[in-house]
Amino acid sequence: MSFALLLAEYAARPNIWDEMYTQGEIRNHYQLFFDSLSQVSPAELTRKDELAKKLFMSQGITFTVYSDGEGIEKIFPFDIIPRIITAAEWQHIEAGIKQRIKALNIFLKDIYHDQFIIKDGVIPASLVHSCPNFLREMVNVDVPFNIYTHISGIDLIRDRDGSFYVLEDNLRTPSGVSYMLENRNMTYRVFPGLVPRNNVRSVKDYPDILLKNLLAISNQQKSQPTVVLLTPGIFNSAYFEHTTLARLMGVELVEGRDLVVDNAKVYMKTTAGLKQVDVIYRRVDDDFIDPLIFNPGSILGVSGLYYAYRKGNVAIVNAPGNGVADDKAVYPFVPDMIKYYLNEEPILKTVPTYAMDNPEHFKHVFENIDKMVIKKTNESGGYGMLMGSASTEQQVRDYKKEVENNPRQFIAQPIISLSAVPCFINGKIQPRHVDLRPFALYGPQGIEIVPGGLTRVALREGSLVVNSSQGGGSKDTWILS
Amino acid sequence: MLSRVADAVFWMARYMERTDNILRALRTNYIASQDEIQNFDWQLWMDGLGASSKKSETNVAYREALYQLLLDKENDTAVLTNIVRARENARSVQDYVTKEVWQCMNDYYHLIREKHTEYLILHGDPVTAFDNLLRESTLFYGTVDITMNRGEGYTFLSLGKYVERMLRSLDILELKIKELGKHGNELVQWKYLLYSLSGYEFHTKFYRNTLSTENVIHQIIMNVQFPHSVLYCLLQVERYFKRLDTISLPEHFKEMEFLLGRAISNLRYGAPAKPTVENIVPLIESTRTEIKSLSQKLATLYFGYS
Repeated sequence: MSFALLLAEYAARPNIWDEMYTQGEIRNHYQLFFDSLSQVSPAELTRKDELAKKLFMSQGITFTVYSDGEGIEKIFPFDIIPRIITAAEWQHIEAGIKQRIKALNIFLKDIYHDQFIIKDGVIPASLVHSCPNFLREMVNVDVPFNIYTHISGIDLIRDRDGSFYVLEDNLRTPSGVSYMLENRNMTYRVFPGLVPRNNVRSVKDYPDILLKNLLAISNQQKSQPTVVLLTPGIFNSAYFEHTTLARLMGVELVEGRDLVVDNAKVYMKTTAGLKQVDVIYRRVDDDFIDPLIFNPGSILGVSGLYYAYRKGNVAIVNAPGNGVADDKAVYPFVPDMIKYYLNEEPILKTVPTYAMDNPEHFKHVFENIDKMVIKKTNESGGYGMLMGSASTEQQVRDYKKEVENNPRQFIAQPIISLSAVPCFINGKIQPRHVDLRPFALYGPQGIEIVPGGLTRVALREGSLVVNSSQGGGSKDTWILS
Repeated sequence: MLSRVADAVFWMARYMERTDNILRALRTNYIASQDEIQNFDWQLWMDGLGASSKKSETNVAYREALYQLLLDKENDTAVLTNIVRARENARSVQDYVTKEVWQCMNDYYHLIREKHTEYLILHGDPVTAFDNLLRESTLFYGTVDITMNRGEGYTFLSLGKYVERMLRSLDILELKIKELGKHGNELVQWKYLLYSLSGYEFHTKFYRNTLSTENVIHQIIMNVQFPHSVLYCLLQVERYFKRLDTISLPEHFKEMEFLLGRAISNLRYGAPAKPTVENIVPLIESTRTEIKSLSQKLATLYFGYS
């Protein structure tokens, strides 16, 4: 069987935006890629698929599930067919994300200082102050260059008509960027020659831009600031990403036990004694960074770190307290923030969101539960959510009770169908739903977005849940120039 | 360099060196047991290498012994366990060793866990399994040599390598002496000892006569041209340690320098003029104690052990 036949079997799903197919035709931007594969047999594709798996394994691009002392290696499933985005689409995405990050960053500065946005009645005070990620400790703390959201991962989805929606803003410690980098490395091994032939824009600049920004926010009095990446350690599922970024940037990868605070300065323990640290790119959540201020049981952080931070002796990236801006109950107010702070119309759409502490919304949501998804405002990774269309009555009843107990903790949104792209699964080319997470870097010189991102795939047929913790995979994302 | 990272690099090198030395010794032993040495005493080697002796008192069959020494997860000193530990150490300093070194260790790990390796050891030709594993080991040394920068990380890696190597040489010599006590034929035993340290050909060239106890022991303990000799390794440790001069706290450097100098002198001038199987045993023991305390001192002063 030839590739053309394989493609002919592709059954685009009705009522969703298929990124490759439209009315039985391959869209222009996928044409060149599929033409190049016209001579490739399905058996050859299967071999390529196996090669990718082998490469991930032998390069140790894995996460480890520990049981019984010795870890079991798992790879994050990778689909070999790249997802392709046109230059025009990317321009729109890029402008939209920049606008959004700019507004969210001003919001953080405002909410931890004068709170004009509350005083002007744009956002209710109760909403902000009931957010568990609003850090009282950050009030009136000045952060270097007024930047809070140095690294953000904005999750985008496409509805039936193909337009982009923001689903979530990840402003705390978004992960996945190493897969953006590694997936590209995999593509040129699996499909030699195709990346340059398609004029795909490079993602290689990411670590350089990140390092440039990290160095720039350190104390200006120093010629050679010390930057470190703080990881929770080898047991963390994103450990591979931490080592990759540290290696690519040439900075020390430290654990909490390597750091010590003395006289409000942070030091790392080296073979030559203590050495002062100026910038910490931490991949440890707010709650764990300093047991003296936050979770007292944490051994992942450093005692006294927060004090050193408030004194301005060390920069922490991203700033603590960002959780108040990516709270799902704050999310529906982001378009208002953009208008309020920037006096602009939002470029990217947001999904209609119902606050469950509003009795009218509550009633509406449960009357239309089969078209709704209910999420916890502070959970990520696809945990703790209810897909109305895929739940039994009993599950809905139980969930409703939970929502009634603590309505502020929940929001509901209509189920968005998510666009589909072709994937090579079980020897066939089949459509699967995807989202897109581009990574935005905010430094003193402005916001930069590397042309690419992490495309997450819901590997189960018909599934809309792309999270890696729920059986999702990923694919390389091509932005055409 | 972070103390924790230095520690992990040091131990990664020790586990890798241990793996290489044990593999070479076992490969030689296996070949000997198939040919010249009848009734090879695997139990002695199992005990000597710290393998849990489930069937104590009896002489285990060779395949069972190989399995336990190489692949048995229950055995804390099995080669597999060493590789897992080396890799876990490398994992925690993945940003410090080069990507090539990390991938090399990773391939090593996947190879020893392959079903085929187990098949070769339990049912096929174990020499093929040894050769495959040793190729990965050699690849590791080459990759380190070609890709690692000569900074502090490389220094601690080299320190780990040579500290481990001299301990292995001492252990293997001691085991051989024990074996000699049970089963005579010195010549054959010495020959295989030298084979397992990759030193037989060198011996015939350097000493230009038939094997003698005196020369064999001299080669393993004192010969500075022989890369597995204790003195050669000690001198290498001294050489690499001196590179830490500029980055060390002066008092730490002095303390280590003194201990190293003393260890070298004790070996050089304290060894018996005419070594025999009997008079070398106390020297083996005292040297081993000295190396261990050196290693502990390094951990306290440079790796932040308390």
